Amino acid sequence: MKRAGTSILITFAVSILFVTLFGGCATGTTKNATSVVDYLFPNTKDPVVTPGIPTLTLPLRVGIAFVPSDGSGHSRRSGVFASYQDGSPALTEKRKSNLMQEVADHFKKYPFVKDIEIIPSAYLRPGGSFANLEQIRTMYGVDVIALLSYDQVQFTDEGTLSLTYWTIVGAYVIPGEKNDTQTMLDAVVYDIPSRKMLFRAPGLSRIKGSATLVNQSEELRADSGKGFDEAAKEMIVNLDEQLTNFKVKVKERPEEFKVVNSPGYSGGSGGGSIDLLSLLLVAGLGGYFLWMSKRN
Amino acid sequence: MDEQAQLTASRLPAWTLAICACALIVFLVPGLATLLVFDRAAITHGELWRLVTGNLVHLSTTHLVYDLASFLIAGTIIEQRGYRNFPILCLSAAMLIGVAVFGIAPELHFYGGISGVVTAAVTYLCLHGVSEKGTWRWLCAAMLAGLAAKFWIEIALGESLLLAVSTETFVPVPLSHLIGAITALLAFVLMRLSISTKFIKSAA
Repeated sequence: MKRAGTSILITFAVSILFVTLFGGCATGTTKNATSVVDYLFPNTKDPVVTPGIPTLTLPLRVGIAFVPSDGSGHSRRSGVFASYQDGSPALTEKRKSNLMQEVADHFKKYPFVKDIEIIPSAYLRPGGSFANLEQIRTMYGVDVIALLSYDQVQFTDEGTLSLTYWTIVGAYVIPGEKNDTQTMLDAVVYDIPSRKMLFRAPGLSRIKGSATLVNQSEELRADSGKGFDEAAKEMIVNLDEQLTNFKVKVKERPEEFKVVNSPGYSGGSGGGSIDLLSLLLVAGLGGYFLWMSKRN
Repeated sequence: MDEQAQLTASRLPAWTLAICACALIVFLVPGLATLLVFDRAAITHGELWRLVTGNLVHLSTTHLVYDLASFLIAGTIIEQRGYRNFPILCLSAAMLIGVAVFGIAPELHFYGGISGVVTAAVTYLCLHGVSEKGTWRWLCAAMLAGLAAKFWIEIALGESLLLAVSTETFVPVPLSHLIGAITALLAFVLMRLSISTKFIKSAA
């Protein structure tokens, strides 16, 4: 009887040990980020760039590109199952291309945008700065570029359900992992010749999810993608808003921004307008009517 | 002035003044033009009122002055002479112009201006005028001939006469003038048919 009691006690202690090992320690953080500042101003010893007065020639030819990563994205994960997390880039080239296409499709509707060129990441060097942008300007013929950067952090924690992992089966079927994915996409629009930032717009998202231990990696990838999609949607809305504000700013501060229309460009605006000749004829008709009324 | 016109004659051109006041308010109150202008993207997203209200939005002071001055003269004469259905003409012209610009001129993302309605009013006025007597009749006939010549030139050149002398940043849209004239012609014909039908019925 006493032996049986000891056996139960040992089993319980082992269980606690497993739970502690599997559940208590397996938490982690994954961070992937790129930075426009690191790309444009890589060397802090450089003198501060003084922007000129931008001359925007309408309709605009706009480039859109993700700033390259400098390899500083990192992941940190602790626990027994930490090894599967490899800290690979959060955004593949295909996903970047899709996101840029989404932004481009939205802004093609504006009459002052002639073309939007999607620039592959391979054309941007880490820390390439404005010299790299000038090269892109020459290659693609764009004057304005929207530089996209991102910052995504994924937190993983164990929930109470992770107690079931010690049954082994639980690790396959019970979603005991709690994931929290926070994403920021940021678009900064620069006039390349003047090196002046025109406006910027961020997009944020937060995705909360859960996963079983064995498919956590897959769930995290899915959350990552969903996070970027949601952040992109918010960024597009904010870009619209900032664009409206920018148009007001251009009108209010003509000394800071020059806008030039290309020959034949009307901005897609049409006006139902009476010409001077028609006005004079109508005025003549009105004059005669007035004279006739007075005479009668 | 015919008997029908005499009966409905009004001294104060209320509709003309009201429409001019609306256009003026839209021009002066910040943000109102943005809410009302013909914006293709917004219309596509369901903001259908812009098809009509775009006619009240003007894109520059010159644009506003020329349009409103013409509308004020034509509208005042129409209301002073008591020609019927003027508000209906304005509304139907505004609607048809909006729909036509949306359907026929996809390159236009924004459209504003009351000139199409002005053309409708002038055409309507002149069509009534040619059925009257004296110099007024010949003046109206000459004006109609002038309008027809203007449309022909604009269609032949593919641009408005305004373009040659204007420094405006927008493209003049002769289509709106043509639609305005067609609306006025239809309204005039329908009105005459209605009067004829009533006359025949009363005679019978």
